[in-house]
Amino acid sequence: MDNFEKHIRENAAQFDTQKADRAKLWENISAALEQEPPAPKVLPLWKRPMLRIAASVVLLLGIAGFIGLSVLSSSTTETQYVSKELLDIDQHYRGLVAYQVQLVQNNPNLAPADKEEFLSFMDELDAEYEVLREEMRNNLDNERVLEAIVANYKKRIELIENLLQQLNDAKQPDDEYGYTL
Amino acid sequence: METDIRFTHQTLVEQCKKGNSSAQYELYGLYVDAMFNVGLRFLGNTEDAEDIVQDSFVDAFKKLHSFKYESSFGAWLKRIVINKSINHLRAKRIAVVPIADHEFHLAEAEPVEAEAVDVKKVQLGITQLPDGYRQIISLYLIEGYDHVEIGEILGVSTSTSKSQYHRAKKKLLEIIAGL
Repeated sequence: MDNFEKHIRENAAQFDTQKADRAKLWENISAALEQEPPAPKVLPLWKRPMLRIAASVVLLLGIAGFIGLSVLSSSTTETQYVSKELLDIDQHYRGLVAYQVQLVQNNPNLAPADKEEFLSFMDELDAEYEVLREEMRNNLDNERVLEAIVANYKKRIELIENLLQQLNDAKQPDDEYGYTL
Repeated sequence: METDIRFTHQTLVEQCKKGNSSAQYELYGLYVDAMFNVGLRFLGNTEDAEDIVQDSFVDAFKKLHSFKYESSFGAWLKRIVINKSINHLRAKRIAVVPIADHEFHLAEAEPVEAEAVDVKKVQLGITQLPDGYRQIISLYLIEGYDHVEIGEILGVSTSTSKSQYHRAKKKLLEIIAGL
């Protein structure tokens, strides 16, 4: 950049020499802003007999298609493969969580009240998990259900971690349960 | 305390997002003159500049929820004004880059070195530039964009932006020398 360019860039503010007609412009701007967006027109489509018939046909086709697809998809190898993989993951996490729960239950340093509170949390998450599993059976490819299941597991592990952390904070340093994760 | 330039007038902007009209007026008051001058530089006449500035403020307030402090509010608003100005010129089939001659220049325009010139002379010189030259000079020298940004704004490549700018600058220097 040469001196010519530097000089202009440094003094760019000097190029703003004109003043806008503030009142006039604002009047137009505020008028445009106040204008409510036109209410969307509601067309009572269902009143037209032809459309009613068309809708019924579409609905029937939809149901037929849905049934057809669910029958077809239940037997594809891909689905079996995915569900096998899911089953493995599920099994892994389930084992991990069960082991941690056992650790907590067997821990002599925990107050019974704390244990009970923790286990009640776990029960709640168990119930939620059952619902999700049911949902998963119905929609195998539903990513959101899958995410929710993973989140459910994460929550459990986090709960256990928190509990063990508390334990470690309060107890002597040779209590090493918290680091088994 | 937040000192980042992107958060300038953050409180006002947030109030505007909620539709507070006095905050809108205050923000408008802070930027209207600067935006009007940007519009004038691009469009060359008051009427068009006023229309574009009005439109830009209306759009900005309506779409303020999409403003996420990735730049300052002023820079965001200026970009709206510039984009609208360019579209306006295109709709009127006015060149926004000096296309007429660049097809025939096989060799790149050599960058010209020049010394500082009185701002008033430059201002006058810019008004006398042909369409297409004025826009690229304003974008680079006054609005302070780099060639990558100018390429995005004008829809040309970075190297086109560079060569066209050098051509426009040469022309501007010739005009200034003749003043």
